[in-house]
Amino acid sequence: MKKNRKYLVVSGPNLNLLGARKTSIYGEGSLEDIHAGLRQRAEELNVGVECRQFNSEGEIIDSLQEAPGQFDGVIINAGALAHYSYALRSAIGSMLLPCVEVFISNVHAREEFRHKSVIAPVCVGVIGGFGKKSYLLALEALAKLGET
Amino acid sequence: MAKRVAVVHGPNLNMLGKREVGIYGGKSMEEINSEVAAEAAGLNVTVEFYQSNSEGDLVTFVQQCRGRTEGILLNAGAYTHYSIALRDAIAAAQVPTVEVHISNIYKREPFRHVSVLAPVCIGQICGFGSHGYVLALRALMEERFDPWLA
Repeated sequence: MKKNRKYLVVSGPNLNLLGARKTSIYGEGSLEDIHAGLRQRAEELNVGVECRQFNSEGEIIDSLQEAPGQFDGVIINAGALAHYSYALRSAIGSMLLPCVEVFISNVHAREEFRHKSVIAPVCVGVIGGFGKKSYLLALEALAKLGET
Repeated sequence: MAKRVAVVHGPNLNMLGKREVGIYGGKSMEEINSEVAAEAAGLNVTVEFYQSNSEGDLVTFVQQCRGRTEGILLNAGAYTHYSIALRDAIAAAQVPTVEVHISNIYKREPFRHVSVLAPVCIGQICGFGSHGYVLALRALMEERFDPWLA
């Protein structure tokens, strides 16, 4: 039997505070709610997910470097790091796995410094603005990519 | 009642499958529309399709979506990057609009990195080929996948 594909979901700094800060932008639910939704959707899609959160840029990089061989793709919400972490960009570019960038909010409707993502050019694509659903759509996108 | 969604294609998207297939893929616009229609049927959504190469016609169409559709999927092609008129039309229509791009615009020329439409759309999906339209429809409609509402 073919081994099920497995995806790594990484959330960056301050996303552990979801539901507790700026709920008008980020919504009421917690990151654990997002992870629960992802696990449920993964089951429906017959794929695996592992969800992690780090406030530390270096720990995200460690996690991405170790991903090949363990995972078939990565979903990343890098939080504020998306806008300036060239180290993260290099880590994504080096890992040779499809990576999908997600945002909870519509970054283009917010402050100017959030309009640019330095990691988007090394990702397969970007999904942003749909709340927690952004993560679920990213999982569907990766699962579809894995079929082809 | 079924929700109504307009799928709007901008300039040169009528040439899909025939131009720069390395970037945009080999599927025609009609094939993509069929995939969206199939997904819509499963979601109990009524979809209508519109394509125009003319900025003014797109502005008029988007304006006319006001009060008539509950969502817009918009791939405005190159107008994405400079049509303030289309941006104003989206804002005026007051219909939740999802911006879709077949390619990952952030991997391409710098002039494609900025979308003047994005600030008035609810969100953006790019880089997933024709599947991006299906994802956009789900983003707009399928509330059962939103744990925030659960």
